[in-house]
Amino acid sequence: MRISFTPRAALAALLALPVIVLWPLWWVVLILLALWALVVLADALAAPAPQRIRVRREAPAQVRLGGTVPGRLLLTNTTARRARLEVRDAWNPTAGLASQHSRLDLPGQERRAIAQSFTPTRRGEHSSRQLLIGSLGPLGLARRSARVPALGRMLALHPFGARRHLPSRVQRLREIEGLAAIHQRGQGTEFDSLRDFVDGDDVRSIDWRATARRRSVVVRTWRPERDRHVLIVVDTSRTSAGRLGEATRLDSAFDAALLLTALAGQAGDRVDLLCVDRIPHVSVLGSTRTKVLHDMVAATAAVEPALVETDWERAAAAIESRTRRGSLVVLITPVEAQVLHSGLLPVAARLAKDHPLVLASVADPALEELAGGRGDLETVYRAAAAERARSERAGVSHALERVGAHVVDAPPDRAPQALADAYLSLKAAGRL
Amino acid sequence: MSAPAPTEPAAPRGAAGTDAAPPGAGAPSGAAQERRRPWLVAAVVLAVIAAVLVSVARGLYRDGPLEPDAPTGQGAKAVVQVLGDLGVEVETKRHTADAAEDLRAGGTVLLTAPKSLSGEQLTTLAEAREEGGGRLIVLRPDFVALSYLTSGITPSGALREQTRVEAGAACGDLSHGARVLEVPDEEDALDGPASLYTATDAVASTCFEAEGGALVAESDGVLVLGSPDLLTNDGVGRADNSALALNALPASDELTWYVPSATDPQGTSSPSLVDHLPEWIGPVAAWLVLAAVLGLIALGRRPGPVVVEPLPVTVRPQELVLGRARLLQQASARDAAAAALRAAAATRLADRLGLRHESALDGLLAALAPHVEESPEQLRALLGPAPVATDRDLVRLAHDLDRLEKEIDR
Repeated sequence: MRISFTPRAALAALLALPVIVLWPLWWVVLILLALWALVVLADALAAPAPQRIRVRREAPAQVRLGGTVPGRLLLTNTTARRARLEVRDAWNPTAGLASQHSRLDLPGQERRAIAQSFTPTRRGEHSSRQLLIGSLGPLGLARRSARVPALGRMLALHPFGARRHLPSRVQRLREIEGLAAIHQRGQGTEFDSLRDFVDGDDVRSIDWRATARRRSVVVRTWRPERDRHVLIVVDTSRTSAGRLGEATRLDSAFDAALLLTALAGQAGDRVDLLCVDRIPHVSVLGSTRTKVLHDMVAATAAVEPALVETDWERAAAAIESRTRRGSLVVLITPVEAQVLHSGLLPVAARLAKDHPLVLASVADPALEELAGGRGDLETVYRAAAAERARSERAGVSHALERVGAHVVDAPPDRAPQALADAYLSLKAAGRL
Repeated sequence: MSAPAPTEPAAPRGAAGTDAAPPGAGAPSGAAQERRRPWLVAAVVLAVIAAVLVSVARGLYRDGPLEPDAPTGQGAKAVVQVLGDLGVEVETKRHTADAAEDLRAGGTVLLTAPKSLSGEQLTTLAEAREEGGGRLIVLRPDFVALSYLTSGITPSGALREQTRVEAGAACGDLSHGARVLEVPDEEDALDGPASLYTATDAVASTCFEAEGGALVAESDGVLVLGSPDLLTNDGVGRADNSALALNALPASDELTWYVPSATDPQGTSSPSLVDHLPEWIGPVAAWLVLAAVLGLIALGRRPGPVVVEPLPVTVRPQELVLGRARLLQQASARDAAAAALRAAAATRLADRLGLRHESALDGLLAALAPHVEESPEQLRALLGPAPVATDRDLVRLAHDLDRLEKEIDR
């Protein structure tokens, strides 16, 4: 517990001025100073002890980034004296608490609430490190302050802005499942039903045994398989820390991963998630279809980019141990010239042998802007450098496609949809 | 107090934003103003006004050493007032010329601070006294001042302790009816210890002998008093000091009280500004500084520690591209820049025309020719590996490539 005086106490010291003018002696000044200190101390001791204020916190456990949630701080005065309190709730700044400081007049044996509102500006974990209560004396000249144990925690979740694209993609999925692709035949399809042959059907799909039983020619129909396994691998290394427009590359990657998770859940596939850089560090494995999206949003909330290089060999080992043959593997990592040196290419080639492999990359929209610059010499040189970078990217994605990966490269506002569309086209082609 | 505490949900005071109201709507509420009590401000204002009034009421007189109107310890209001009651008209003079005029007219002049006068002023006074035959009373002159005024007296010592000096038998009229004089010790004395004097010729006479000299001396119309404390409000009441003061000063009905002033046109030395400040200014200033420091401490108090927060790292992804652009420009690598622009344009054109990217330049030119106005030579110069001579050519090349792509788009 600490005792401190208020600005009002300094103002009250001016009351001694006439005394000093009348008796301008140094020992009078000393006596007045002692008197002032005594009054301040007495005022502090007359204040109720801040330790005897009971605090209960009603803070929201989770909030979607960009939203605002209310919270409450309930303070109970267990003493009989009226308490005038100065409360500071020390949340970290990006938790977006509207006002950390508040004053409260709390009668004895009563309880009051302090309303709070949180608008977090950063994804991840937020906490209130301390709750400090200062109890003012009856004259308001001094306060006793103390820390009160009332820890607050809140998780700011990924905003998942791409979820507005979900309905259209789900509709496309239903078309693929139900009508349009029903007659397609491919590797990853399973027998659905028999029907009469019509012109245009593939002759290879005629079921001769059924045709022999009936008078007419009968064909088999197929539908895409359900209950497949999808593993999303998100690269959280230094390349994911790049700021593209408003958010980092990692935020867009999570946006795409969440949209794919939601879509695959609708398609009846199981989705797992793995975040890797030097080591695989966050994973969501074996969640049920109804809970997977929620689990994934909660698990990815606190993941931030790390300034390290990805160890793709170790990532490949982790991927192999978590997938069966034929599972769809989605690597979300930027396609850049450097990744060839970090060993992605041989790993991708190995993975593509056993799995359908999609490589999703979030492109930098600023590169396009730079490439369009034609103003003066400097911007033309920049355009040339940007064109060079783009051709390098194109070369890298070409190399990756040649080893069997399906590359999706789009700027942040289109990346989630592009990945979802790639998934749908795989479904439609019967490769999944 | 066993009754359960009543719960009042959501009674925010000073907290911005409630569940229902929009944030910031009720922040400076009426409750906050209600709580502010005006009594302290009013009391402080009253205290300051009282302090000002007290100082103004006391500042109506002029304070200073031996000022005739000052009722303070260093003033001389007591002597002046009693002299006035006895019928002596005391006139205050502040300029040497005025004092000299009175001396020349044969009057009595009390010189309160001979040390602050220059040699020229002292000479003026001495000449005026010799011409007019007036009487000059000097308070504690030093050797230099005495040498101007009279040749019969020299300083010979000082009294540092509080001392009572008795009038000797040989004093005669010079004792002015006083039997014992008392001077305070050095700490309480006005501006230093009392001085002692000895007579050096036959005309001069001394009285109130102490060890090493006399406190009072006279020589040819110059009366020397060894301590100003004999006349101050504090000192005049001690022993028989008042007798000496009231008897020695009035030789006639008029007395000129000469207080040397800084505004004297003949004066050279002037008292500093600090000498004119009232004595309470020090403690009051100290108290004000103290209050200001206390206020700053109270206002600067930080409620709890600073909250530190590790923020996620972000990187500008275009640094590599911009760095490469600067390198190209510094090296004036126009051909390399042109090659990059041409390759990009060729790739896009080939895409539009449905060619394979790997097809050679000739194939692209042949496919382009039917769609554009430019001749094959111009196209080859534009897309082929022709050298770029100047910076201007490079900018123009970029614009030409743009135009070509737009033409194909149409």
